[in-house]
Amino acid sequence: MVAPAILLLLAFFFTPVMLTGVFAFTDMSTSTGIGRGSYVVTPTTLRRLGDRGLGADDAEAISAASYAVDEAGLAAARDAGTDAAFLADIEERLTGETFETARDFELALRDLPSAPRSPRALKSAADLFGQSLVNHRFETRDELAEALAAHAPDVAEEMREALTDDAYTGAVFTTENFTRLATQPETGRLIANTALYVGATLSLFNVGLGLFLALVLFYMPKPVTGLFSTLWLLPRITPVVLYTIMWKWFTWEDGFLPILAEQLGLPAFNYMKGSVVTAWMTMISLNGFIGASFGLILFSGALRAIPLQQLWASEVDGASRLQQIRRVILPQLRWPILFVTSYQTLSLLSSYEHIWLTTNGGPGRTTTVWALEAFKTALSNYSGNLEYGLGAAMALVLVVVGLALSILYLRLFRFGDLVGRPRIEF
Amino acid sequence: MQLHLDNFTKRFDGTAVIENLDLTVNDGEMLALLGPSGCGKSTTLLSIAGIYRADGGRILFGDRDVSNLPSQRRNVGVVFQNYALYPHMSVEENIAFPLTVGKKRPSAEEVTRRVRETAELVHIEELMARKPAQLSGGQQQRVALARAIVRRPDVLLLDEPLANLDAKLRLEMRSEIRRIQLETGITAILVTHDQVEAMSMCDRVAIMNKGEILQIDAPTQMYRAPASRFVAGFLGNPPIVFLDGQTGPAGRFEMAEGLSLPLPSRLAGMPEGQPIALGLRPEHYGAGGGASAAGRVVFVEPQGREMLFDVEAAPGIVLRSIQPVRDDVGIGDRVDWPVDTERLLAFDSEGRTL
Repeated sequence: MVAPAILLLLAFFFTPVMLTGVFAFTDMSTSTGIGRGSYVVTPTTLRRLGDRGLGADDAEAISAASYAVDEAGLAAARDAGTDAAFLADIEERLTGETFETARDFELALRDLPSAPRSPRALKSAADLFGQSLVNHRFETRDELAEALAAHAPDVAEEMREALTDDAYTGAVFTTENFTRLATQPETGRLIANTALYVGATLSLFNVGLGLFLALVLFYMPKPVTGLFSTLWLLPRITPVVLYTIMWKWFTWEDGFLPILAEQLGLPAFNYMKGSVVTAWMTMISLNGFIGASFGLILFSGALRAIPLQQLWASEVDGASRLQQIRRVILPQLRWPILFVTSYQTLSLLSSYEHIWLTTNGGPGRTTTVWALEAFKTALSNYSGNLEYGLGAAMALVLVVVGLALSILYLRLFRFGDLVGRPRIEF
Repeated sequence: MQLHLDNFTKRFDGTAVIENLDLTVNDGEMLALLGPSGCGKSTTLLSIAGIYRADGGRILFGDRDVSNLPSQRRNVGVVFQNYALYPHMSVEENIAFPLTVGKKRPSAEEVTRRVRETAELVHIEELMARKPAQLSGGQQQRVALARAIVRRPDVLLLDEPLANLDAKLRLEMRSEIRRIQLETGITAILVTHDQVEAMSMCDRVAIMNKGEILQIDAPTQMYRAPASRFVAGFLGNPPIVFLDGQTGPAGRFEMAEGLSLPLPSRLAGMPEGQPIALGLRPEHYGAGGGASAAGRVVFVEPQGREMLFDVEAAPGIVLRSIQPVRDDVGIGDRVDWPVDTERLLAFDSEGRTL
């Protein structure tokens, strides 16, 4: 029994967590790709290096093109459809020569017998023989270093090293993700949003409404109870997409709620996306109605486990219904309440699908929670640059917070006591 | 406080469980409601407590009609079979609970004082800080009793309070409950199916069957003069033996199986051929008397101080005799023991006592 359990744990928990942990310390993104990278010096690279002290002259030297008549250049010119006679002249007279500037090369070309008249044709022919480091893809670091040394020997050795490092297009290990999370102001708002989302959904619905319904149903006759419990299960058993679409219909401009509000003379607009306050209310309610049934079922079970005579005794002792609930029932629901709180904290922390399908974190980013932001950063956004590394770092933070909370809750539960001998003897 | 049930009726889903029941419990009296399971005794008790609502008739505490009051306002104390202690509260909090809810709440010092007083009365003052789970069955019982009487209720209701205790504790708690009831002078009703409990603890016993009270009497009187065959059969351990036959000539009783006994002198004038049943208690067979019944011993059960003999007096007719321990009689021996005919109980064909 233990071996398969460990295997499953490895496959479905440790491996994803490990991979997330590894990715979290890289700058992997759409632009780096997930494979091995190559070395390309781009104008952006030069600009970045400029910030780190690369002189303008050096930059000029690196990006400067030189012109050499060689096999590669001739082949490129032939492919580009250059006049054959002209090409033959170039091959015959200029092979092996190099020119420092475009102007020198163009002058040399113009002197050839079959050179074209137009300066533009001459210039475009010259370009085909141009060689530059910039935007050239080198497979290995050494190739780039060699080319740099040959091309711009005047640039300082360490500056060339820095340039080679920066030119790497693949993912590299870095703690940049965490630095960014720790310093960007957006993080604070995400945490506040997540705390509001989890806290409000949990207290108002998962525990609050669940407990309220369980108590109300407990005092109602049996047939009513069954029907009602089933009704409250509907949000949980409805497919997520269907459920969220129903909420969209419910809250959009021509939906049920705004029309009702209009009739009553209240402000009517798209409640899901029209204002920050209503967006939050919608989001918390639609998540809450799903979670309420969980609490309802657990609390109902716990209520039925209280011996009826105890309730009779409290009535005979003079306790009103409220006193009965507060002093006899609630203290005995301590464990189910704690359990629902902890279990739902963890599941709410990592859930984003309902938010994604409804407010999508809007209006603006006002209802964006941590898990949704992580998902968008890593897997789904419109800019197109998916930052796997940063997304993984955000997910890793969730995993760590979740684990810490789990351990805390297990302590709180005193798990050993829960599975121990029953405490009431008969 | 005198308790009075007047034409009390209780139905469940339209089926009458108890119909037009009248019962009076005198001030300071302890009355037992005794009967087999399902006779309606617990229903009556829970209706008095206000947990069930009466469907007809009145329930009076003294002059106060409580029929339509919720249990919170009836001022009764109830001890349930499973004690129903609040598991999350200490003993002290359990006992104090009735004083800390409800309309009139005494001051904190008053609560402490009365809880302590009550705890001393039921001898649990050293257990005050414990939780119910840390108590033995007998201790839980005492706490439940303390909680029921701490508010000085008008009526104390005990619903099978001893059923969950082992034999030794049951004996101890029997006298304890009675002592506490006598000391507090609270009118009390004990619901039980155990005749020994009912007879040993209560001033009077009401025997119930099928929602009716068959007889109310002091225990000894009821044992000596049961009103019906059911009552006679319910009381007594080992139980009474019934002999079904008819009156014969010369004031005798005869059975088809062949056993014949003289009728008690008070019935000597009965006409011949009447179907009647005689009830013979074990202590009235084999301990002197005016007639005798012979038979073969088929079973012997030593009970320490006494011995119980089953004697087959005629084919299929087994008489029971309880006697001080004796070694001279064993299974298979023929005996001819006296019958105390004057103490024979006699019933007509409807089961009424003659």
